[in-house]
Amino acid sequence: MEIVVCIKQVPDVDDIKWTKENNLDRSQMLSKLNLYDEYALDWGVKFKNQFKDAHLTVISMGPKQAQDTLDYALAKGATRAILLTDKLFSGSDTIVTAKILSRAIKKYVPDFDLILCGQMAQDGDTAQVPVSIAQLLNIDDIENVVEIMNADKNQVLVSQKIDDTINIFEVSTPILLAIKAEAKESYIPRINDYIRAQGTLIEKYDAKDLDFNKVEVGVLGSPTMVYKAFRNEINKDTVEIEYDFSEKIIDLINENRKKR
Amino acid sequence: MIFLKKSSTWLMKTGKSAKMKKIIIYSEISNGKFDNVTYELASKAYSLKQKALELKEIDYVFDVTIVAIGPSLQAESVASAYCSGVDNIVLLKNEDIKPFELSKYADIFLKYYLENPSDIILFPATPFGRMLAPRITTLLDTGLVADCTDLDFILNKNNEIKLAPTRPTFGEELMATIVSKSTPECATIRPGTFEADFSKNVSGTYIEHKINSEKISNIMLLRSYKEEKSDKPDFSRANIILAAGMGLASKDNSYFEKLKNLAKRLNVGYAVTRKVVDSKIESSDYQIGQTGSSANPDLYIAFGISGAIQHISGMKNSKTVIAINTNKNAPIFKYSDYKIVADAKEVLDDVLKYI
Repeated sequence: MEIVVCIKQVPDVDDIKWTKENNLDRSQMLSKLNLYDEYALDWGVKFKNQFKDAHLTVISMGPKQAQDTLDYALAKGATRAILLTDKLFSGSDTIVTAKILSRAIKKYVPDFDLILCGQMAQDGDTAQVPVSIAQLLNIDDIENVVEIMNADKNQVLVSQKIDDTINIFEVSTPILLAIKAEAKESYIPRINDYIRAQGTLIEKYDAKDLDFNKVEVGVLGSPTMVYKAFRNEINKDTVEIEYDFSEKIIDLINENRKKR
Repeated sequence: MIFLKKSSTWLMKTGKSAKMKKIIIYSEISNGKFDNVTYELASKAYSLKQKALELKEIDYVFDVTIVAIGPSLQAESVASAYCSGVDNIVLLKNEDIKPFELSKYADIFLKYYLENPSDIILFPATPFGRMLAPRITTLLDTGLVADCTDLDFILNKNNEIKLAPTRPTFGEELMATIVSKSTPECATIRPGTFEADFSKNVSGTYIEHKINSEKISNIMLLRSYKEEKSDKPDFSRANIILAAGMGLASKDNSYFEKLKNLAKRLNVGYAVTRKVVDSKIESSDYQIGQTGSSANPDLYIAFGISGAIQHISGMKNSKTVIAINTNKNAPIFKYSDYKIVADAKEVLDDVLKYI
């Protein structure tokens, strides 16, 4: 069974730093694996471990530093890691990112059975890349997956949650699943796992390897562009309450309790 | 396939014929009815059309078409759509398509679209819309702006209208207005962003096309059911929420239990931040924030919450916010109506003396 997990390194949303111009100061921010991609990876590892001849390839597009994320994925149980890195890729929007990832999957993991993605990236929130990858590979996708009950080379049994409705699907492979909920088992790698992971070389490919020219990818190749970015002004007149005034809290609680 | 003949009058401000800007609003139908977001988008498209008419430097006429895929459409829905300002309604009739067969939907839409292209396509950012739109725009090899909370147009150097949707990003902290270099210009728009206005009286065309898809779906639906009501808190119904952050942490973490019990006793909501969940103190059912639930109670009391953006995005629509934190510069205070610089544990102990 061939499993592919697409992962992205994102800036830590709990630790946002801004430049004077109100842009994200990415150089001052910590990076980590996108939360939903971690879920996808955990589900992938779970099913890889059920089959002796199964492989799990993690693919990431990003700068050289994204290697850290791939090392982490290898330590967690991935068997192969691919980094798509090129200055030309920088600034790629969702459709271009999907083109790069899907072309890499076609070229380097052509026999894939199952592709797992996180439902969305915490920094962008678009949820568009997985759908676009599926369309470019001409396969079906199930979004908003909360559980993979069973998966083998031919079939996958999944549960999808949309609002408060649960849909149980049986799908035949190849299929792409976009994962929204964490796997019941999540493995935290130990030192030994990192040492083992060092034995697996991260494969690196650039635009040329994927037969992209510079007008097809990155800022130049992306159909959408940011026209302006701004932060919402917060205009709250915050009243500071001296500490012994916890009565104020009680008053407010009592006031609001009567309302409904 | 029948070709669409335009019948509506072209308004002209100059002697020359105006440029036409065709907008498609993709609509979901359930039980033969449009969702409210259809009317919201139609009303917004109408107001953009009016704005374009009033601008002296351009001569544009918008033509707004609702396109929907499904077995049938009720007359009342069609009438309401005209009242919200659309010029045309097209039903791509398909009796046996199932809601999860997204590649079939995309295929059917594409067949129609290739003969009836437009400049702009707006999709609802419903779960369905967000699953379908990227399939369609990928097929059309064009851009797509996700989950927008504002919609406008700008004029480029050549005085051409460019769609300029704005969307929140980075846990809603940063807003970005994004334009497309490719056509059609496409966006998904969050439901509830605009108000549906039924005061227009546009008389439009209604057309049905029967379109089938030969696509074979690999997906089989085995079962579909509503999730059982669990003990999971329903934040949408709570008018007060007592929320706990890591400022309540202690050796035995008893303050979380204290706050939870207080909430139970008062019959109000109890919520926590992601850090509390990550620290295995509380289950993720209680988590408020980007990856948890959202809440907009009348009163939100944040005990020892610093205010990470992903938490703020889940509670910032609360009416009144009180925050207690030892750090006087904690980001939560920016979103608070009342600020108490103190140890949340001590304040909680005090509150418990009174209530």
